Amino acid sequence: MSMRTPITLLAATSLTLTAGVASAFEPSESVEFIAPANPGGGWDTLVRTSSRVIQEEGLADEEFAPINTPGGGGAVAWSQIAKREGDAHTLFATSPPIILVPLTESSRYDHNDFTPIARLSTDYATVLVADDSDYEDINDLLDAMEEDPGLSVGGGSAPGSMDHIAMAGLADAAGLDASSVNYVPFSGGGDAMTNLMGGHVEAVVTGAGEAVGQIEDDDSDVRALGVSSSDRLGGSLGDVATFEEQGVDYTFDIWRGVMGPPDMPEDAVTYYQDLFKEMLETDRWAEERDKLGWIDAYQGSEEFGEFLDSQADEFSGILGELGLLDEES
Amino acid sequence: MSRLNVNQILALILAVFSVIFLIGAYQIPAFALPRPVDSDMFPKVLGYSLLILSGMLFLEKPQERDIPDADAQAESARLPLLLRPWSRVIITAIAIAAYALLLEPLGFVLASTLLSVGLTIYYGYRRHAINLAVSLGVVLALYLTMTKFMNVHLPPGVLPI
Amino acid sequence: MDALNNLMYGFGIALSPMNIVYVFCGVFAGTIIGMLPGLGPISAIALMIPITFSMDPSSGLILMAGVYYGAVFGGSTSSILLNAPGISGTVATSFDGYPMARKGLAGKALAIAAYSSFIGGTLSVIGLMLVAPLLSKVAISFGPAEYFALMVLGLTAVVSLSDKSLIKGLISGVVGIMVSLVGIDHQTSTERFTFGSAHLLDGIDFLVVALGIFALAEVFYMLLRGGGGKEQPRSAIGSLKLSRSETRQILPVAGRSSILGFFTGVLPGAGATIGSFLGYSMEKRLAKDGDTFGQGNIKGVAAPESANNAACTGSFVPLLTLGVPGSGTTAVLLGALLVMGITPGPAMLEDRPDVFWGVIASMYLGNIFLLVLNLPLIPLIAKILELPRALLLSLILIFCMIGVYGLAFSIYDLLLLLAFGLLGLGMRLFGFPAAPMILALILGGIMEQSMRRALQISGGDWMVFIEQPISLTLLIIAVLSVAGPLVRKAVKGAQARQAG
Repeated sequence: MSMRTPITLLAATSLTLTAGVASAFEPSESVEFIAPANPGGGWDTLVRTSSRVIQEEGLADEEFAPINTPGGGGAVAWSQIAKREGDAHTLFATSPPIILVPLTESSRYDHNDFTPIARLSTDYATVLVADDSDYEDINDLLDAMEEDPGLSVGGGSAPGSMDHIAMAGLADAAGLDASSVNYVPFSGGGDAMTNLMGGHVEAVVTGAGEAVGQIEDDDSDVRALGVSSSDRLGGSLGDVATFEEQGVDYTFDIWRGVMGPPDMPEDAVTYYQDLFKEMLETDRWAEERDKLGWIDAYQGSEEFGEFLDSQADEFSGILGELGLLDEES
Repeated sequence: MSRLNVNQILALILAVFSVIFLIGAYQIPAFALPRPVDSDMFPKVLGYSLLILSGMLFLEKPQERDIPDADAQAESARLPLLLRPWSRVIITAIAIAAYALLLEPLGFVLASTLLSVGLTIYYGYRRHAINLAVSLGVVLALYLTMTKFMNVHLPPGVLPI
Repeated sequence: MDALNNLMYGFGIALSPMNIVYVFCGVFAGTIIGMLPGLGPISAIALMIPITFSMDPSSGLILMAGVYYGAVFGGSTSSILLNAPGISGTVATSFDGYPMARKGLAGKALAIAAYSSFIGGTLSVIGLMLVAPLLSKVAISFGPAEYFALMVLGLTAVVSLSDKSLIKGLISGVVGIMVSLVGIDHQTSTERFTFGSAHLLDGIDFLVVALGIFALAEVFYMLLRGGGGKEQPRSAIGSLKLSRSETRQILPVAGRSSILGFFTGVLPGAGATIGSFLGYSMEKRLAKDGDTFGQGNIKGVAAPESANNAACTGSFVPLLTLGVPGSGTTAVLLGALLVMGITPGPAMLEDRPDVFWGVIASMYLGNIFLLVLNLPLIPLIAKILELPRALLLSLILIFCMIGVYGLAFSIYDLLLLLAFGLLGLGMRLFGFPAAPMILALILGGIMEQSMRRALQISGGDWMVFIEQPISLTLLIIAVLSVAGPLVRKAVKGAQARQAG
């Protein structure tokens, strides 16, 4: 339910916003905030949550209208947004698929075609096994995989997408052949975990945020062998060792951020990156973020752009190992 | 009438479709990583199944209800061209296509009201005031519920709502 | 005892003021939509999906369950009053319901339908409450191989759905699976039948197909066969009261048919249509006055009505425990749940008890609302059928469009809807049943993916499907059910005798 915010509040916040920044840009019409997917997924949650926080906290004068443009794992939305060159009133939610999809499938656009605005939060990959499994740490599992390449590792997404890349990258870092991972794609992380509990696969790779509910459950049937962060995570995942701690030099970020159309005016970019920075500092956001199990990981436009380039290098390396790199792109 | 019965004509259409489908199935590329059953197996099995089934349909005797009613056809020929049953289906289909294309430029409220009012008149309802009131009422109620309460964005278009 | 506690918990959720409003709105809207000829629960639920986007999942599902019950009941209303069943599940109701209406006993027929629906609904919710948690414990042992076997079993039921030509039913089924292949193959990220279009990468949404070949095709069909609606004699509804002896007559009938209907519904692929025919033919054989079935026998209304409602509830068992829709309608419900971020399956009972028990409790509520509030309103609601047909058709079209557009905000989908509407019209004209196509579209997709998943795990060893006891048993049942389409014959016999 969208409500109009009191004018006084609006005035006050826009003052703090512009203070110190030489940005003259303010949206002059409602901002289309696009989730390149169906309602309900990660992008959609990001778009709806952040526009709600921006609205309720009165951070912007104009409305942020959440719009779903699903199709092709994002490709449909990207091709539409790529045409809005220089448009300062379009934003979209983004995460690793903006790099992975163009590398493996036929999206004509990749992250270089858009303007990075800000990275907002991140999640990490985790490897789970059944509670009664013999594998005590990640090295046990990796050794077993080396011995038996048929050992099945389930994940929630298709081969060549996030879960698979996270696992293949881990295997690669441990000196195994990335393409030897017997990755079994399920229809989602939840589906994969259910199959792990039923003993149908040996291990599952999924997002830590998605797994936390399962792990913290007292009579839980699954446990985590490691996380892909460089420092230990907080909360109920606090006693799960990182891969680096266990001697596998490997980190993997499942980041989420915001991008805009090609050649977005610079003052607009500045305005939005500051807006999102401010949004991350509100209590309202903290509340929502904790509910979703996300971890703040803000980066401004420039930094985010460099980060994206390094991610692209890393992913195309792993995809190359797997033989999944699309030759044409 | 030709010498082929209804089922035989349908069977031929389906056979052509299954051949086209099979051609498509044979063009599905193999996946880079080895898979016990690759993406092309199911399409191929289905294509051949449909081909066999259309063969069986070719041999099946049509049931009475499958043959279009000759009386109805004669009756409809007396109506003006635009009001014949098939014309109504075709015009409705065209109206739906037009609606799809105009939805975003015109906006949800205007496009939907136009479609509803227009088709209702075309189907022969003559009390225009009731028509307009009901159509606009339903459309507006839907639009406002969706956009104001459900936070679902529908194209606003040219109307300032 | 445990179930009772859980149920109380469920009522705690369902009885929140907002949720009561949702149940009532759902039942009411469902009754109206279900009453419109051609629009059944599938369309009714599909049309509600955009509205549930921003709802709390348990409220959303509560609304949907209300719509579902309402639509099935609404379907019987038009079966009785107009001899125009809104959905196939209420076809059997018209056999005796319409003759009763013509004798001026429409009110009595409606009341019997409502009471029987209530009995069927309530008994089967008890069944659901007891069976689902048990099954959900077993469900965890359902891996890809077992799912594959279950889908095979479900698809064999497609055979029994084709009451006309078996070959045409199979063709519908095969085409349904073909449609499910469009898009990116989840096992390999390979594009299939997308013709290079980004719009097709995610596949063709199930709802586009469902609304197209059901609702839109029905509108086209009515345009083509136009005028028919006006000739229906509008009989007075008459008293809604039942005498004591009538009540005594229908109670055992409703009880038996409820149990039969529930178990028919639990089987994937069967559902309300088969349940209602089975209930009808069973009672016809059991009744001493079986030869008056078809002339307005009250038992002939009670049996299919309690069976179809019970089957509706029964089909929630596989949906909530295995995440497998047992019918076209539950398939749409599954789609709705996924939109709300809930994946039904073995973990749901544990992860989202609020949804699970909230829905069960709201089913009780839905049934009560149906009886207490809806029944007295029936004469009023029936007035909607008097809305000018021309206006009604246009509005149905608008609802179809919003249902589809609200799904993905895609113009492309609207054009696809039109294409499937025309396909559905063709299928109707040439006697191809639509239900197998819908079911195959859902089950076929899961079947392919689970089969390949199972083989990926086993390293290509096909023995996985017969080594596991559950999978083997399911496959054996599937083979038996193909070998013995005796049930279908019995149903057909009942129909033929009915017609004669």
